[in-house]
Amino acid sequence: MKIRVKAFARFREILGSDLPIEFPDGAVMATILAALRGRAGDEGDAIFDGAGRLRTHVILMRNGRRVKRDELDTLVLADGDEVAIFPPVAGG
Amino acid sequence: MRGYIMDMISITRDVIDTGAMIEAAKRPGMGALVTFCGVVRDDDGVERIELEAYEDVAVRELETIRDEAMREFPIESVDIIHRIGSLRVGETILLVIVGAGHRKEAFAASEHIIDRLKQTVPIWKKEFGRDGDRWVPGDYGKTSGPAQ
Repeated sequence: MKIRVKAFARFREILGSDLPIEFPDGAVMATILAALRGRAGDEGDAIFDGAGRLRTHVILMRNGRRVKRDELDTLVLADGDEVAIFPPVAGG
Repeated sequence: MRGYIMDMISITRDVIDTGAMIEAAKRPGMGALVTFCGVVRDDDGVERIELEAYEDVAVRELETIRDEAMREFPIESVDIIHRIGSLRVGETILLVIVGAGHRKEAFAASEHIIDRLKQTVPIWKKEFGRDGDRWVPGDYGKTSGPAQ
């Protein structure tokens, strides 16, 4: 199945802006994050801590809704889902 | 259907015409229109900034902020326009117009709207200047980011 990953601001510079990524059916949010960690390489420090966990300030959304940290291992994604990942907002 | 004409909520790449927006916001029952203009500032040699948004979610958050303000304050209208793209020093980033019968509630609502916007609306800015570029740090608080 195809998941569309959108990254913004500094995370866009690290991961790319709008990526369709192929995953096996049944993939959960943690699967997507592991793929992003691989893609980020050395620059991933801005997004992941030393243990590979998402840093606390990172905001994650699925189809326009916030994803909570305790859902990462259980939230099963569907074909065509949009996942967004970004740092704290700074508009205005 | 509410009793007021639909407010303007938008994210735009075009120059914001503040005067025209204020005129368009006026209604017969309003005695006060409080406007807030956020402008690109020359902070230590900043020449321009680039703004980007997660547009669908940003518009939805702006609508939520407007609806909240309309519920919590006795005001008649809220317009919010946020610009994205490349802006030079002095250009308008954000325009908030609150229309009300009287000034006090319009001032209070305006401040509330801007504070919420800075916390929750997914928009980011990068400064470009003499000394290179940098992302403006966002709100790292617990309530940071879209509420839902």
